[in-house]
Amino acid sequence: MKRIRFKGLGILSIALMVVLSACGGNNNNNKASESSAPASSSTPKASESASPSADAKPVELSIMWWGPDARHEATLKALDIYSQQHPGAKFKPEYLAWDAFWQKLPTLAASKSMTDVLQMDAAYIQEYVSKGLLEDLSDIDLTGLVDPAVVENLKIDGKLYGIPLSQNAQGVAFNKAELEAAGVDLPQKDWTWDQYFEWGKSAKAKLPEGKYAVNDTSNLWDWYQWYQTGNGGKPLMTDGGKTFNFDKDLFVKYHSALADLRAAKAVPPADQQTAFLENDPAGDPMASGVVMTRGATTGSVGALEQLMPGKVDVVNIPVGSAGGGWAQSTIFLSVSTHSKYKDQAKAFVEWFITDPQAGEALGLTRGIPINPEIYKALEPTLEQKDKLGKKVYDISVDKALPFYPIAAGYTEWVDTYKATMEGVMFGKTSIEDAYDKLNKLGQDIAAKTK
Amino acid sequence: MNALRPRWSRHLALIVFSLLMVYPIIWWLGASLKTAPEMNLPTIWPSTPIWENYSAGWDFSPSPHTFAHFYANTLLMEVGNVIGGVVTAAIVAFGFARLKFKFRGFWFSILLMTLMLPGQVTIVPQYILFNRFEFTDSYVPLILPHFFGGGAFFIFLLVQFIRGIPKDLDEAATIDGASVYGIFLRIIFPLIKPALVTVAIFTFIWSWDDFFSQVLYLSSVDKFTVGLALRMYIDQFEVQWGQMLAMALLSVLPSAVIFFLAQKHFVEGIATTGIKG
Amino acid sequence: MNTKVATTSTRRTLFRISRKSGESNLHGYLFISPWLIGFLLLTLWPIAQSFYLSFTDYSLLASPVWTGMDNYKRMFFDDADFVQSLKVTFTFVLVSVPLKLFFSLMVAQLLSKSMKGMSLYRTMVYFPSLIGGSIAVSILWRNMFGVDGYINKVLAVFGIEGRGWISDPDSALWTLILLNVWQFGSTMVIFLAGLKQIPQELYESASVDGAARWRKFYHITLPMLSPVMFFNLVLGVIGSFQMFTAALIVTRGGPMHATYTYALFLFEKAFKHFQMGYASALAWVLLLMVALITVLNFYVSRFWVFYETDGGGRK
Repeated sequence: MKRIRFKGLGILSIALMVVLSACGGNNNNNKASESSAPASSSTPKASESASPSADAKPVELSIMWWGPDARHEATLKALDIYSQQHPGAKFKPEYLAWDAFWQKLPTLAASKSMTDVLQMDAAYIQEYVSKGLLEDLSDIDLTGLVDPAVVENLKIDGKLYGIPLSQNAQGVAFNKAELEAAGVDLPQKDWTWDQYFEWGKSAKAKLPEGKYAVNDTSNLWDWYQWYQTGNGGKPLMTDGGKTFNFDKDLFVKYHSALADLRAAKAVPPADQQTAFLENDPAGDPMASGVVMTRGATTGSVGALEQLMPGKVDVVNIPVGSAGGGWAQSTIFLSVSTHSKYKDQAKAFVEWFITDPQAGEALGLTRGIPINPEIYKALEPTLEQKDKLGKKVYDISVDKALPFYPIAAGYTEWVDTYKATMEGVMFGKTSIEDAYDKLNKLGQDIAAKTK
Repeated sequence: MNALRPRWSRHLALIVFSLLMVYPIIWWLGASLKTAPEMNLPTIWPSTPIWENYSAGWDFSPSPHTFAHFYANTLLMEVGNVIGGVVTAAIVAFGFARLKFKFRGFWFSILLMTLMLPGQVTIVPQYILFNRFEFTDSYVPLILPHFFGGGAFFIFLLVQFIRGIPKDLDEAATIDGASVYGIFLRIIFPLIKPALVTVAIFTFIWSWDDFFSQVLYLSSVDKFTVGLALRMYIDQFEVQWGQMLAMALLSVLPSAVIFFLAQKHFVEGIATTGIKG
Repeated sequence: MNTKVATTSTRRTLFRISRKSGESNLHGYLFISPWLIGFLLLTLWPIAQSFYLSFTDYSLLASPVWTGMDNYKRMFFDDADFVQSLKVTFTFVLVSVPLKLFFSLMVAQLLSKSMKGMSLYRTMVYFPSLIGGSIAVSILWRNMFGVDGYINKVLAVFGIEGRGWISDPDSALWTLILLNVWQFGSTMVIFLAGLKQIPQELYESASVDGAARWRKFYHITLPMLSPVMFFNLVLGVIGSFQMFTAALIVTRGGPMHATYTYALFLFEKAFKHFQMGYASALAWVLLLMVALITVLNFYVSRFWVFYETDGGGRK
């Protein structure tokens, strides 16, 4: 035979099916047997598994977080302090950047090897809680550390799955220097949505050619949700995703207002708008000097300030009858349900927001510390970027609505919203068609969640 | 041959073409010397080059290690990958290209099939597998696959090259009493040298780039590769652009040097050694 | 120089010899054993798993739940993104594979000559392929093809008004195709190695016969290079169907899913939307499509690929 033939694809698939039926069976059994299998990321002795006793024996805890390098350095320092205070306590730290963290975590969850302690984000916590991967931390006593109202607000089905680390809030950053230079009135606290759209038009008229006052936020789902909830509508996903509330009137009203801005050329054209990439020095709508405003949070405004030092100021998200924006913790420390050292992990997590030495080491690397006493000690050391972050919080907190996260199962909807609304921006889809498509998908997901 | 005579027109064409190809790299060098606010300016070169981007980037503050440590890690891994890949791919390819055995066609189809299934759906089961054998946070899951034939791409590549070698050579050796192993070692192996160099270079470059497996399998910082360290610069909001671009540019250099040193072997292939047939 | 006129008898002799010793199978399996063992040990199980998972609802975060053919039904009857990603991917494959093959063969021809400074040229031309999927590529490409990018500046010199090439749904995919072709180095290197394997004697005797350069290219280079060309074609198709990194880091699949390639779609389902079961089904459908095309490729190759082993060739 001179030629290697491509025969046997058929045989091959049959062969595979046979192999598979065996494998498939195995897979279902994994669940039971694996809960007792050792997690490979730590090297514990099996006999040492955590006892319910409160007095936690020092062990090696694995811990994982994401962040920029200042956070890594500060956290490593804090871990050292913990080890000094608790002789014998050791850590196996793992730190990554945001993208890598969220790419890796599902794989760790699939192999039941999540770290004992892990940093969590409000955007994802529901997904992980709904699959039973995070330990209930309700019995940790947070009195005097965290405002009880905040704790209540963070509970999912009455239980607390993540210890809040910092205050966060959503606002709008604006280019104060350039707006003043162009003689534009600066945005004022508690501006309404109508004022926001109007300001977008009038400010644009005073700005030089090629510059815009506001973005075309059509493809950002959270902006629409702020509009819907701010104007008295329900959050998009309620009951843990079992109900999907997509208000057609508000949707059409909001997107018609944006369509007006597009028609009046008061927002960047679609091909320029979709090219923006926040926090990219050349691609950021504000840092590139093209747009005068954009959404920013307590946690993210500092990065913007570093790209355009001395030019940034902040205001809150436009408000409706019900309020506007949100002000809440979005970064947490959670404990994995697969951890064998839950008590030690819980003790550590509590220490993390309590200990003054730790607070000093951590500084503002995770935003404004949730513990008022720690924050007070740090206040004199605030830099301009931190002050801006604090201002976003202060300016938003009185009108703020709760933070409505993506419910489990809805990341797909969020991505579809973006692609669909870009169709509207490029004039290829009508607002009504977009509504129908997104509503159908949302209702389908809600039906599946039941 | 006339091609050996240097011709100015050809030089000119090559110079223009090469510059066109590397123009974006020149932009990259410029950008790596800029401050973040300067980066949205259209100028290629910064007014005052920030060489600290290189020194600070090299020190890599999130860990006690400098990039030197990550380069050492990566190179160590690469040595294993390249040796494993080149040797085993050649052996397997010879089997497929020159030997006749039962189900050869079947196994070759399977080999190609492993290339067609996107890795995204096998990586999690594979992770679970390695995790069960406690090989995570080590280089084993990254190096080991290279010792099993180096992957279907390279096996297929070498099969094609071996099939391009006249069989008269094998035949002559057989008559001289050489075994299959003798044919492989003394005839085929030397003749596919250009292809083996290609395999070596590609293994090197592609393992260097294989971020997704590295991020899954390596978790402690002291085991980090260059690629992993680089990604640390890009967080959700805060990106240290200058340092990131500087280190990313440096990270390409080893591959470029390896390529530069190895590429002359394409020229010395069979063509200059000649076939004494 | 008659090396390429391998006779059928020599070929048979070789096999007869090994068969006579009764070790043909043993030798064969011994040689492929490194791969075979690796396959059975490391690859078979994950592949089988992914096949099983394609019939389940599997979020990665919880155990898979058997759903039968649901994933496959959803794909074909109820998923506009699936159709869109197919459209994007087929366009990408059909344009970029031939373009890259042609381009890299031409450049390889140019770079295969021995000449002063050739090492440097080769390295420079290869450089874009070295940077691969580095995050720097995304910044770079946006700087080239953005609204204020260099391409538009060049166009402006000629009085043409550009646009945001990378963010316009009508042109975004084409910038990715261009990026893919710009990184033609690997294909070119394989051609280069192939060119160097062609015995110089063939060209020399053809020169004696007074053959023109293009005739030499057509009658010697192309047939002698055909196995390598075939390799580049098959692997180019397989690789392009899985195109992913550039779409992820440069355009993130947008705008309007204009660059939502099949592999990116699959990746997002697997790791972002927590639908690994559906992603696995997508992967197996991709495998089936690519396998069919590859079988076709192998079939057609009989008519144009020339192996020394076969004896004879295009005259």
